Amino acid sequence: MNRSSLGTPGRRRSARAGMSRNAGSDVKAAYLFIAPAMIGFFVFVGYPLVRSFYLALTKYNGLTDPIFVGLGNFRRMFTTDPAFWPALRATGYLVVLYVPLSLVIGLALAMFCNQRFAGVRVVRTLAYLPVVLPAVATITLWKFMLDPQVGLLNTLLDRIGLPTSLWLQSPKMSMPSVVLVMLWGVGGTMIIFLAALQSVPTELYEAAKVDGAGPWSVFFRITMPMISPIILLQVILQTTAALQTFNQPKILTAGGPGFSTNVLMLSIYNNGFPTLGRIPQLGYASAQVWVLFIIIIAVIALTAKFSSLWTYSDSTSD
Amino acid sequence: MTEATEAAPPAKKKPRVLGTTSWYVVALFICAVMVVPLLWMITIGLKSRTAVFDIPPKLLPHEFHWSNFINGPQVIHFPRLFLNSMIITSLSVLGGVMTAMMAGYALARLRFPGRKLWFYLFVGSMLLPGVVGLIPLFQLYKSIGWYDTWLPLIVPAFLGGNPLFIFLARQYFLAIPYSIDEAAKIDGAGHLRIFVSVMLPLTRPAWLTMAILAFQASWNDFLNPLVYLYSSGKWPLSVGMASFISPFAGKTPDWSYYMATNLLYMLPPLIIFFAAQRYFIQGLGALGSTNQK
Repeated sequence: MNRSSLGTPGRRRSARAGMSRNAGSDVKAAYLFIAPAMIGFFVFVGYPLVRSFYLALTKYNGLTDPIFVGLGNFRRMFTTDPAFWPALRATGYLVVLYVPLSLVIGLALAMFCNQRFAGVRVVRTLAYLPVVLPAVATITLWKFMLDPQVGLLNTLLDRIGLPTSLWLQSPKMSMPSVVLVMLWGVGGTMIIFLAALQSVPTELYEAAKVDGAGPWSVFFRITMPMISPIILLQVILQTTAALQTFNQPKILTAGGPGFSTNVLMLSIYNNGFPTLGRIPQLGYASAQVWVLFIIIIAVIALTAKFSSLWTYSDSTSD
Repeated sequence: MTEATEAAPPAKKKPRVLGTTSWYVVALFICAVMVVPLLWMITIGLKSRTAVFDIPPKLLPHEFHWSNFINGPQVIHFPRLFLNSMIITSLSVLGGVMTAMMAGYALARLRFPGRKLWFYLFVGSMLLPGVVGLIPLFQLYKSIGWYDTWLPLIVPAFLGGNPLFIFLARQYFLAIPYSIDEAAKIDGAGHLRIFVSVMLPLTRPAWLTMAILAFQASWNDFLNPLVYLYSSGKWPLSVGMASFISPFAGKTPDWSYYMATNLLYMLPPLIIFFAAQRYFIQGLGALGSTNQK
């Protein structure tokens, strides 16, 4: 501070000293700045990965030491556990129902909200609104909406003369109902598509207009190719999130009726953190975590591998 | 739509009017789907406890029971849980934003060995499903006496808990011209000084966006407090609200009480959303556009 008042020579010296000091102090400062995140990486990424892999190969109740059982947990899962295959099927059903619907409705909403008309901002805001609300709050609200006797949905359907449903209480409709509740948050998908749509250069649309292209050909030849990287990203994000769905089935149905909505995450939770009086099976739950983890990795790898077939990339991408 | 394409050029104006009308029908439908459940929640919150179970249900309450907004919250000790949620959320927002900004600054603007590697490690860890950490971390916290405390909900945020934030921070820092640091360095500012008094003001949109997303994530988090907190006095609102209607209570839930309380639970995120809408859109928009580059 004082040195800067000494005049030009002193100032230059201090500046140069600062420069040479910086080469070394850059590294030191960098490590200080990044240290919390680095520690976090080891504790919350590295350690759990290794530890959960080990636990997956053990029998472990959380109190006594884990007992190594090799692939015993996986053998039990695939051969004797009556709840595992239904859990896998329920998870697959949820993904197959939710992901395509979320992408199609999300994109349609984004295209609608990308138009210019008075009030479009209101629509955009309201479409995103459910995403902002706490999951527990909206899920419980929907649980009551879907009540067969006093719920709003059946009341409305009844008034306009459409057939009503038992929704969450029917084994057939329970999963579609869970997906319906999840789709209320489609604004999250919409907002990312909207950003992608807005980054498509308008010259392309103007050129298409000049060439006399109709709306469908504009959509399939310009919009889709231009946003295809984002579609890819969304497929991966939505699928991995859907595979890990927990809140909705936990609060809406607790996995029922029967095993109809008992997704893998719920099964992991119930094995690892059972209700009082039952012994936690942390080893077995870890093995299920790894099955889920491997499915997620496989989905990402396959989506990425086949993405070149349908995504457009310009040659300048780095 | 088909009419518009078939129409001859001179007749263009007519289909457009038709177009706008149908636009508004669709727009109205979208708004209704999003808003009607919330309005219905409010009407339930105002009904008497027995009117909720009227068959057929009435869309509007007969008489307004404003007292539900007083009696409902008392069922789950709302003020205490609200305070719990506030403390947990504000600390994890502070921690998450601070560490992500620091890491982003280092990754974007400082040279150090392993810079690229760490960037890829952080980005890669975004793909790691949260559930992988659930059991090992639960055991870890238990063994160091953190079970049934708020620490597992707060401390991870201070250790760069959200790699997405690190990524967003780095992208934002990369866009700031380097001549600014150079000028600050020549004036004798150290890295801490540059970070706090030059970079933080310049990156305000970035950290405001992150703060909002972190607030939302923490306020809404259900699984983690459910697993880590045993005593109901320490619960945040998410677990409290879920317990309100859980079948374990052994009786039919008071839906009118519940909905009135639910509205109060929603209020803080709602207020933040309407006050800072553009940051919500911006933050996720950044995700959309940065990935495309």
